[in-house]
Amino acid sequence: MIKNKYVLFAFRLIIGGLFIYAGVIKIADPLGFARDIQNYRILPPQACLFIALALPWFEALSGAFLVAGIFKQTSAWLLSFLLAGFIVLVIITMARGLDVDCGCFGKLSRKADWRLILEDALMLFMVLEVALSSPGRRISGSLGR
Amino acid sequence: MKRFFSEAGFIAGLSVVLGLALHVPIIRQFLAGDFAHGFTARGRGPGIILITLAEAEDLFTGGQGFFVDARSRRDYSAGHIPAAKNLPFEEAKGGGLKEFTDGIPPGKTLVIYCSGEDCPAGLTLAVLLKNQGLEGVRVFMGGWEEWMAAGLPAERGNDQE
Repeated sequence: MIKNKYVLFAFRLIIGGLFIYAGVIKIADPLGFARDIQNYRILPPQACLFIALALPWFEALSGAFLVAGIFKQTSAWLLSFLLAGFIVLVIITMARGLDVDCGCFGKLSRKADWRLILEDALMLFMVLEVALSSPGRRISGSLGR
Repeated sequence: MKRFFSEAGFIAGLSVVLGLALHVPIIRQFLAGDFAHGFTARGRGPGIILITLAEAEDLFTGGQGFFVDARSRRDYSAGHIPAAKNLPFEEAKGGGLKEFTDGIPPGKTLVIYCSGEDCPAGLTLAVLLKNQGLEGVRVFMGGWEEWMAAGLPAERGNDQE
């Protein structure tokens, strides 16, 4: 586990910044994001719209809190769960043989493929390091308290 | 645990409130059924005509239709409307539309289709093509699934020439 505070701070900036960017770009185009979600063909239209309206704010706020150091551990865990969920979603999508845009960064999105899984896994590693960094506020402490 | 859930609940709750509060017009449009054929903004799609299977079949049998398949190359290769050109939506988003539109024979009616009603790529591709200056773009919403279910002609392969 990484303990260097500068490295952990860099991880927070990178992951937080990416999620702020991903959130803001989707807040600006909720219908485009709703289309991206619908392309996965998992959820009904009502759920697609609800997620398209709320998830970008969830990403942007969690990212902002992570960068700012407010609710740092909680934000890190939330983004970890989100990234783990994205990885599972991409694997399921590939297994179903669907050829879709990931919808990660609005119009700058690209295919949901193995490269995307690796990138998400790298981000998951970084944000988990942040989540696990403070003694006593790990998931056993934060969640188990 | 209590701390985690209270903080997570705050972030999630704030996200839902902001997301819903700032997009009331979109929610109203949704409730009014504006997005029944996919999440395309009103005003981005005027001039695009949604057609039924019967109309698509008429354009096909009459030879006036120029069919464009918005699905992936793999889906297209597995089966498509005869003589349809493949323009995967994901590729169209990346550009190169000018070259494609230049290849459309004059006098033909452009008919775009995707896999079916639950595939919004056809309608979104129609918006992209219309933005290139094409008029009277048709979208066959029933798409490939409805075409096949009706037992209409089909062909396989990637050869588009």
